[in-house]
Amino acid sequence: MTGIDAAPGVSLRKDTRIPPFRRILIANRGEIALRIIRTCRDLGVEVVAVYSDADAGAAHVSAADAAVRLGEAPAGESYLRADRIIDAALATGADAIHPGYGFLSERASFARAVVEAGLVFIGPPADAIDALGDKLAARRTAAAADVPVVPGTFDPAPVDRADAIGDIAAAAEGIGFPLLVKAAAGGGGRGMRRVETGLELPAALTAASSEARAAFGDGAVYLEREVRPARHIEVQLLGDAYGDVVALGERDCSVQRRHQKLVEETPAPGLTADERRALHAMAVRAARAAGLSNASTAEFLFDRHRRFWFLEVNARLQVEHGVTELVTDLDLVAEQLWIAAGRPLSDRAREAAARALAPTRHAIEVRLAAEDPSREFAPAPGRVGTWAMPSGPGVRVDTAIRPGDRVPPDYDPMIAKVMAVAGARREAIAVLRRALDEIEVTGIQTTLPFDRALVRDEQFLGDDGEELSTDWVAEHWDGRADRRRALDVAAAAAAHSGIAHKPSLRKDDRPNWPWRTAGLAAAIDRWPR
Amino acid sequence: MRKVRVSSAPSTAHADDPTFALPSDGPVPAGHLVVQGPIGPPGSDGKRPIEVVVDGWRFVLVVEDDARAALRERATRSGDDVGRGGGALEIRAIIPGRVASVAVTPGDTVEAGQTLLAVEAMKMQNELRAPRGGTVSRVAASPGATVEVGDVLVVLE
Repeated sequence: MTGIDAAPGVSLRKDTRIPPFRRILIANRGEIALRIIRTCRDLGVEVVAVYSDADAGAAHVSAADAAVRLGEAPAGESYLRADRIIDAALATGADAIHPGYGFLSERASFARAVVEAGLVFIGPPADAIDALGDKLAARRTAAAADVPVVPGTFDPAPVDRADAIGDIAAAAEGIGFPLLVKAAAGGGGRGMRRVETGLELPAALTAASSEARAAFGDGAVYLEREVRPARHIEVQLLGDAYGDVVALGERDCSVQRRHQKLVEETPAPGLTADERRALHAMAVRAARAAGLSNASTAEFLFDRHRRFWFLEVNARLQVEHGVTELVTDLDLVAEQLWIAAGRPLSDRAREAAARALAPTRHAIEVRLAAEDPSREFAPAPGRVGTWAMPSGPGVRVDTAIRPGDRVPPDYDPMIAKVMAVAGARREAIAVLRRALDEIEVTGIQTTLPFDRALVRDEQFLGDDGEELSTDWVAEHWDGRADRRRALDVAAAAAAHSGIAHKPSLRKDDRPNWPWRTAGLAAAIDRWPR
Repeated sequence: MRKVRVSSAPSTAHADDPTFALPSDGPVPAGHLVVQGPIGPPGSDGKRPIEVVVDGWRFVLVVEDDARAALRERATRSGDDVGRGGGALEIRAIIPGRVASVAVTPGDTVEAGQTLLAVEAMKMQNELRAPRGGTVSRVAASPGATVEVGDVLVVLE
């Protein structure tokens, strides 16, 4: 499998001087492709990158040993082309494919095709992805493993069937209102409808089903009680091919906007030792029952009565895996590679799992996205000018953006993950606050104003986590008002810059700026009038 | 001190921004202000787009020399004076450039603020608007024509 000639008697699996693979292909782009490449470099694994026309000169392409063009910019013509990706792996002599997250990472058909092509898929087995990709199947699996699932139905709900209205209405009454109609193949809030009364149910079923069919090619929907307010807490799992699974701590991802995570931290604030132990055990039970191996994440809701409800399993590396790495000292991608190469769970991973029950460090991450937080986080692609990322003690930044890079409109707007780690939550937030203050980005609008406001919010700073909920953004922040305030300062700064006739005036010059003086006040006029 | 004026560029997405107020007194928090400087050469109209990032909010603001703005206003106002004197109001070019589009024809009734035509210079379009309501008696410019500062473009009765 590794393609490396070993001396007789030397086990390829156990000798860490020999890489888990000789060469792997990374079927992804952006920061996650670069992040995986870095681990490959650390392990001595050669890397093949793939790219679309929009990413021809991208950082992940230059960082790889070889790169293969997939096609035009749209994902359907490039990063979702399983056939071209597998061809590229075979043509370049890769042993394995890492899918990253998003794109093809949770498509069982892709995992299966990779294996059928004689390559290793770095992720859970195709059958497990299949079983968990269907949320109904995942609910049944979890319930059978004695893991509490959100009250709801376990079979596809009848849609547009007058004869079955009575049954589904009775089921809805049993669950209680308000409830959610959710897509079995869903994710990211698509194919989801909130229903407050039984009268709305038939229309919600139809709407959610057609949206799910359009988005996922599968119109199956089911009913689930709306647990709200609730915190979103997930457990990082790592399992080997021999059925051993450990929990590497939990992450609180409660700050969301339209079911998209904005902030992730570990450990979850305010959990008792017993709650944490029970949560990890439930996640491990669900993973074992589903036959999961490699890296995956079990997601739960945590309600105001301090009960956990199983939500779903993501059978892949998560965007937010970095915070877990910061507190565990593990390289999860390296663990993934060793597990995919057939090694049992490492001692490092087992020790980290034991430590995760009594956390002694706290890590927190915010996502920097090319979005305008004053316009409902609308996408704001474009060409980046200045790109200055933070560094220093306790700071980690995962990004693939360089100054002058273009953020293409074709893919996810997330352009950087800014992480901070310290001994406790407040200290970690203080490090993150400092890190965010070091960031300078020009050329595009980003979510930086929101991120900076968040780490200064008194309620968010509360240690017990009581204020965290999936409704946080709507309740706590007015982007338009914040932008209006900043505009005043910008106008004054621009006026001064115009007077100074400097080609570039940066913050280093600030002490000399007389922009608060009366002279400048007179210089700022109102225009247009 | 040389005076300047600041306006938000047409390229910013927010049409509803209020006109600018002075910043309140007090220090600027560290690390929260980035002035990128001109993001292009000054236009032939003397306006310069400047990129400013405050607390992560990105603005492209147009800075214009105050003396130049005053000249431009006089160009319009001189027509205004003529208008008051003789009943007709001449709208003159305030920047040199090329007529990009003409929105009115003789005989049209226009309201104050209505766009009459646009002059393009350095890839930036500058719209000329009616300073008051009236009837268009003459259109002296056609699309594509090159104009100099002070040229009569439209006459309002």
